[in-house]
Amino acid sequence: MSLVRTEQLTKTFGALTAVNGVTLEVEEGSLHSVIGPNGAGKTTFFNLLTGQHAPTSGRIIFDGRDIAGTPPHRIAHLGIARSFQRTSIFPTLSILDNVWLAAFARQESWRGLGWRRADRYPELTRRALGVLGEVGLDEKAGLPARAISHGEQRQLELAIALAAAPRLLLLDEPAAGLSPDETRKMVALVQKLKRRYTILLIEHKIDVVMTMSDRISVMHFGSVIAEGSPAEIQRNAEVRRAYLGGIAAP
Amino acid sequence: MIRQWLAVLIAVVLLPVFVRHAIAAEIWIFAIFGLGLNLLMGYTGLLSFGQATFFGSAAYVAGYLLKYYGINVFLALGIGILVGALSAAVVGYLCVQRSGLYFIMLTFALNQMFYFTAYQWTTVTGGEDGMPGVPRPDVLGLDIHPPLAYYAAVAVLFLASLWIMQRIVESPLGKILQAIRENEPRAEALGYDVARMKLAAFVVGGAFSGLAGVLYAMLFGIVPLEAIGFVFSGNVVFATLIGGSGSLYGPVIGSFVFIWLSESVSAMWARWPLLLGMAFVIVVLFFRGGVVEAWARFWAWRAAPRAPAAQTDVPR
Repeated sequence: MSLVRTEQLTKTFGALTAVNGVTLEVEEGSLHSVIGPNGAGKTTFFNLLTGQHAPTSGRIIFDGRDIAGTPPHRIAHLGIARSFQRTSIFPTLSILDNVWLAAFARQESWRGLGWRRADRYPELTRRALGVLGEVGLDEKAGLPARAISHGEQRQLELAIALAAAPRLLLLDEPAAGLSPDETRKMVALVQKLKRRYTILLIEHKIDVVMTMSDRISVMHFGSVIAEGSPAEIQRNAEVRRAYLGGIAAP
Repeated sequence: MIRQWLAVLIAVVLLPVFVRHAIAAEIWIFAIFGLGLNLLMGYTGLLSFGQATFFGSAAYVAGYLLKYYGINVFLALGIGILVGALSAAVVGYLCVQRSGLYFIMLTFALNQMFYFTAYQWTTVTGGEDGMPGVPRPDVLGLDIHPPLAYYAAVAVLFLASLWIMQRIVESPLGKILQAIRENEPRAEALGYDVARMKLAAFVVGGAFSGLAGVLYAMLFGIVPLEAIGFVFSGNVVFATLIGGSGSLYGPVIGSFVFIWLSESVSAMWARWPLLLGMAFVIVVLFFRGGVVEAWARFWAWRAAPRAPAAQTDVPR
């Protein structure tokens, strides 16, 4: 069963076609990676899925309904959460509040919205702390988000996405700008999330993608030029020409 | 928290001892006005340059009804709050469609429209002469004409306003508004309808402005044209920035500084706005969080002379 499926998804900005007729299917419970050189349209593709951009044409079928063009705040309520390539957090709010806000947004009812004290939602606070524990930030919960290192902010970025209890998790280069050591930690983290969430992953570090993914789609100039299992992608001549080049052994 | 409230209570009790009662009342009225703006400017990051729209509209409508229909004081306050909230809903709906400079200009332009409407509609508003003869009816049989009695009534409403605002900024809504201030696209991606949340901030801010407007009209017995003018909008921004935008007590302190300077020092020195200007420059250059931040930094410096400045919840 596919959880999300795009059909001939296209996005143009003026004369530039950033995403060109992408048809892609993500199986429920799988980890599906999208790779491709810089400027291939991967992040734009994500922005279409999460409603940041409305597609020029094509359909996005999530859980059986077409969600193309739905604004981001509605898409979040359908159960699609994302992490951003460039860290996108609430710098002066506490780490706990960063995650708490993600959890609150997905509440069935927003009772007490303007009146109940935010620290009087024990269930939500417990959940937020649980997610922080998962990424290893629970001990820093009270610090403002701007006070932690870049690596920790990347973990917070992921925690914010997880706190929304998503059905589909979109991770846009979770290891961007991380040191080798931090990258290993992040990979272990994503590895742990595999199977618990349906994950669509953009990543540049090929070795990471090859070891973790169930399926890989390769984008080049806005189009998907190949799709398959890691082994199939590694053998694909066109992919090697477009992207892997010298990295993959012949 | 308890210490701050204690300080506010002491200030409320002691102020009329040192300051003329009418001025003391004006300080808390202006503080209520500032609380409303602060929710927009300090917490949501929306610099509204048109708060006098809501203040003035409420003052005119409630003042008119008080003057010609002799409505009771609770009804007048309720109507003022309602008019403030409604006018803010209309203005806010239009303004939240845009952001940044365009947002600010829209709040300003709409303020000017309300101003010139009041200016032209002389049969109701009295135009440039203002609307005199706003009565101050009894409260449950109590005469609030003596300045101290009116001060007490204003002080009670101010304390209630401060308490309500504290509840709002500590609620999920308060956190959501701060999240929007910090990072709007992220707040939207989390599932918050940013435009609606901003509108909510407008409506709440407008309600506070409306309450302040009615109290102002009853304080001076007149709704002057300035009450809906852009200078008034600017003054409340000014006062809130000096006190500390983005912290609950900022506008309260700012209102005290602003009204006290303008009412006391102006009697001795006609060039008093120079002082305000200097205070403003100092705030902008050194203490973006206003008096509240300066105070926190002073204590942090006292506690640990060489430690870095204290972290406050003020946006930089």
